[in-house]
Amino acid sequence: MSLSTLSHVRFAGMATCVPRRIISNLEDCRPQIRGDRARLVRNIGIEFRRLCPEWQCFSDLALVAAEALLEKLQWRREDVDALIVVTQSPDYLIPATAIILQDRLGLSQATVAFDVNLGCSGYPFGINILGSMIAAGGVRKGLLLVGDRCARLEDPIFSDAGTATALEFDAAAPPMYFDLNSDGSGYRAIILPIGGHREPVGVQHLLPWREDENDHWHYKTELQLDGPAVLSFSTQRVPPAVEKLLAYANVAKEDVDYFIFHQANRMINETIRKKLGLPEARVPSTLRDFGNTSGASLPVTMTARIHAELAEGKKRLLLSGFGIGLSWGGAILELEGAAFPALIEA
Amino acid sequence: MVAVDRFIENFLDACDFEEPVEATADTELQSLPQWDSLAKLAVIVLFDTEYGKAITGEDLKTAVTVGDVFRLLGD
Repeated sequence: MSLSTLSHVRFAGMATCVPRRIISNLEDCRPQIRGDRARLVRNIGIEFRRLCPEWQCFSDLALVAAEALLEKLQWRREDVDALIVVTQSPDYLIPATAIILQDRLGLSQATVAFDVNLGCSGYPFGINILGSMIAAGGVRKGLLLVGDRCARLEDPIFSDAGTATALEFDAAAPPMYFDLNSDGSGYRAIILPIGGHREPVGVQHLLPWREDENDHWHYKTELQLDGPAVLSFSTQRVPPAVEKLLAYANVAKEDVDYFIFHQANRMINETIRKKLGLPEARVPSTLRDFGNTSGASLPVTMTARIHAELAEGKKRLLLSGFGIGLSWGGAILELEGAAFPALIEA
Repeated sequence: MVAVDRFIENFLDACDFEEPVEATADTELQSLPQWDSLAKLAVIVLFDTEYGKAITGEDLKTAVTVGDVFRLLGD
């Protein structure tokens, strides 16, 4: 498929919720590694992150965001026909978190609800899935909840967030353009190797197996990330994919108001920006304050940096997500009069 | 043809070591104060953005000295 167009789908609004607790990568770490942290922060560009308390799930943040968005849009709950959740941190392995949220949000039992297992790339995919259901008829209004609970105190990259996006049928809406791709040969680059059916959790996984350069011990049940492989993938695949999508949509770079990229780390994001020759002013970043919020990073950046600009006038955006899978996708959207509540903390 | 001296300057800039480091083509990477995952990522970015050459983490693993890294530039 890769390139495609959706018609009659309107981007109605977006809300973003992050946990209240702020972690500083410079201060909230063991004293013996503080010296190295200044260099790390300078290079990855991430100084602060948000961390959920023990009890809080991704779905709790997404629920708050969805409630705020429904309120702002004045949508009646019985009018929501579809609820799609894109996450890799569900409440339970099964059943799907989307179905639990159908009930918690007080949506009708006639709502179609399911989860999509995508991470950092997931936002454009989610827009495409919900948008396709709307464009096909049947679904008039739908909610897309995207995000993860992926932060850990000792990992300086990841940060928690939950987001809600509203799409609705509108015969006069401008077309949405998509480019969605997958490369499963790179599945090991970012992986939680233990806990699925391929290798269930056993007692042998309950002891740490590897000590890193910061004297921190890791368990097999933690996310494993091959930094060089992810960097090479992102900086080699994303720029040509963005160029391809622009050409397909017949849109010049100058005619895009904002380019919103997944917030991976400063090295990756700056390399992509420079290779595409984009000015910093049109590439908003939330890396410093919110870190890498996985699939939520596009909504986090739109909400935290440009929500006021997006709420007024007509704006054309290019969205680009990339990461675990390996998976990468882009979308070109035109927004006008969409609802953008300010960033919520819960 | 890229001069090795200029390359080493760029290499040290990219690695962003906390303390100033002197290096030649014969300097062993393991003797550098912070030849860590961050430095390796920075060198991959340097090759891509400064020299238009895609190298991988596996390529870097084959290098023993700074000169070996320089030779990854090829012709």
